[in-house]
Amino acid sequence: MQDTATGHSFSAEAFELPPQQTRLQELWAQLRKNRLALAGLVIFVVFFVVAVVGMLLTTGTSPRLDPSLVRLEEKLRPPLSRAKLEDLAPEEIPPLGRYLLGTDELGRDVFARMLQGAWVSLTVGFVAVGIAVIIGVILGGLSGYYGENPVRLGQVAIVFLLFLGVVNWSILPSGLPIVLVIASIGLAVIMVLQRKKQSQGPLAFMDAQLLSVDILITGLIDIMLCFPSFFLILTVVALLPASIYNIMIVIGLTSWMGAARFVRAEFLSLREQDFVTAARALGVSDWRIIFRHMVPNAIAPVLVSATIGIAGAILTEAGLSFLGFGVPPPHATWGNILSDGKNYLFDAPWLTFIPGIAILVVVLSFNLFGEGLRDILNPKLRERH
Amino acid sequence: MSAFLARSFVQKMVTLFFIMVISFAVVHLAPGEPSQVDPLNPKFTKEMVERFRQQFHLDKPLHEQFVLFYRDLFAGKTVSWKDGAPVLGKLFERFLNSLPLFIVGTLITWTLSFPVGIQAAIRRGGGYDRTTTFLAYLLISIPGFFFAYMLIIFVVNTFQVPVIGMRTFGLSGAGVVTRMMDRVWHLLLPSILGATGGIAILSRYVRSQMLEVENQDYVRTARAKGLPDEQVHYKHALRNALLPFVTMFGLVLPGLIGGAVIIEYIFSWPGIGRLAYEAILARDYPIIITVNFISAILVLVGTFLSDLLYMVVDPRIKL
Repeated sequence: MQDTATGHSFSAEAFELPPQQTRLQELWAQLRKNRLALAGLVIFVVFFVVAVVGMLLTTGTSPRLDPSLVRLEEKLRPPLSRAKLEDLAPEEIPPLGRYLLGTDELGRDVFARMLQGAWVSLTVGFVAVGIAVIIGVILGGLSGYYGENPVRLGQVAIVFLLFLGVVNWSILPSGLPIVLVIASIGLAVIMVLQRKKQSQGPLAFMDAQLLSVDILITGLIDIMLCFPSFFLILTVVALLPASIYNIMIVIGLTSWMGAARFVRAEFLSLREQDFVTAARALGVSDWRIIFRHMVPNAIAPVLVSATIGIAGAILTEAGLSFLGFGVPPPHATWGNILSDGKNYLFDAPWLTFIPGIAILVVVLSFNLFGEGLRDILNPKLRERH
Repeated sequence: MSAFLARSFVQKMVTLFFIMVISFAVVHLAPGEPSQVDPLNPKFTKEMVERFRQQFHLDKPLHEQFVLFYRDLFAGKTVSWKDGAPVLGKLFERFLNSLPLFIVGTLITWTLSFPVGIQAAIRRGGGYDRTTTFLAYLLISIPGFFFAYMLIIFVVNTFQVPVIGMRTFGLSGAGVVTRMMDRVWHLLLPSILGATGGIAILSRYVRSQMLEVENQDYVRTARAKGLPDEQVHYKHALRNALLPFVTMFGLVLPGLIGGAVIIEYIFSWPGIGRLAYEAILARDYPIIITVNFISAILVLVGTFLSDLLYMVVDPRIKL
């Protein structure tokens, strides 16, 4: 103000802006103030490194640390105990000659098993939440952006036929699913042609309008929210063949509702804003408006819920493994190490405590980081402190 | 009001239909057959398998099975594949076992969360607030089964009492007091475990509600005119902060059935969660579908109740 009054206003230094900060630098500065969130991030990075290194060390034909190597004479040794070198073959000797985290009831090295389990927890957490976020962003985006547009009978028929085809194929691969899929593609082509020519073909009734997109998708969200999620996941995982991919997919398919709701709410307000109108006026395609212009603006709350979702997915996987429905046995996960160890609760408590504390610390770090991120990304809360 | 009721009813009916479809489809679309009709099972002759398939309509196409299943369910005639006992009767019997867990757990949750949350909000930013915040995160993050074993080790080592199961066997000759105490000990741990997650979430929610109200103008006015702190917090702020929680009574309903699978498994508690777990192991489809179906209905009823309660409690809301 003073500069303008004294006439220096046009000199370069008067217009000097505060040092440029990118969005990331700003976030980092905020994060450093929130000590719990920072601790969460640090633990998460350590966990990530441990999981990747663990995966590298425990896989392959002759792994550096073999998590499934049975040494019956060395069973239930407490943590840090020395291996009996004279009884073991050279390839059975653990690194450093000690069992860092003890051995289990079959004499398997708990340290190696924990490393192997870390990778399982990491991938289940990220892939399951990745699936959930993708479904959530797509469905939430559709319902927020196209809300009032009607769904046509033909569109429902296409999706229904495709769905039937896929389900049929997954049960018994035969000729029928192919017919169904071809029928659905054919119907799609006919509908597009019909729309272009504005003509009344024999399938004109397929253009009948049913519901609005919004009602359809919010209805789907409401239905999914009614089910008890852990029991539903348990049912599906138990009935499907045991595999880690099934667990990821099932957890992902049953936990996208939160992300969808967030994106929908954000989209409802975003689509009324000027930059979207401008993009539309420029003739930008809907697809590009949604994914280039609107999703980046709506993603913050989704990221927060995804971080917390990873914590939930890791807990769910551990719970499933604990009940015996997780990854098939020779492979170690934190849940099934604990589940095996519970029979030796009083003789070998480390078999319960090591995986339990590991799960607790990792889940806690994701929760703390997620909550910190929520505070940082929410400008309203920032002023209060 | 009646328009809202009617609209809500129609909506819930449509949702209910899809819930029926999904509960049914999830089980029947999975690959593999229930063990009793598995042709590879040597215990079953071909005729037995055929009879079984006919008895439970498994020879019919899926959509007919769907109609038949729900017709039987609503008529109360559905039977478990495992032992032929009526599903609803079995569920009710197990429900009675789960009920004490649910009641004690809910009581612990609600009586602990409110004082903790309110105190945290009043002393915002202080040591108490930070400690309870961290504890809440800790309780949300701890795997239930791990916490269960920690508590079991602690209680068994400290108090030398048995905690697994609903009661200790062979106590029937003992006095009334001994038996009562035995029941209480067995009930305590699973109830506390069932309440942990609830305490953490609810106390955080109470805190944020309270904070929101404490920032309102009328609270500042109350303070400005010199009312004692007690009266400001508990009379002006708390009463308004309580509004949303009245509606949560409706949302407690679903907890009656779901959510206790792991705890009941650990404590060998013969409740609904354990029944469901056993049904999954035995591929007892009628029970699996019914449990999923009933708990989804409870969610529907719960949300409906909470909408109604909101309307009754808060005159500003017109539906």
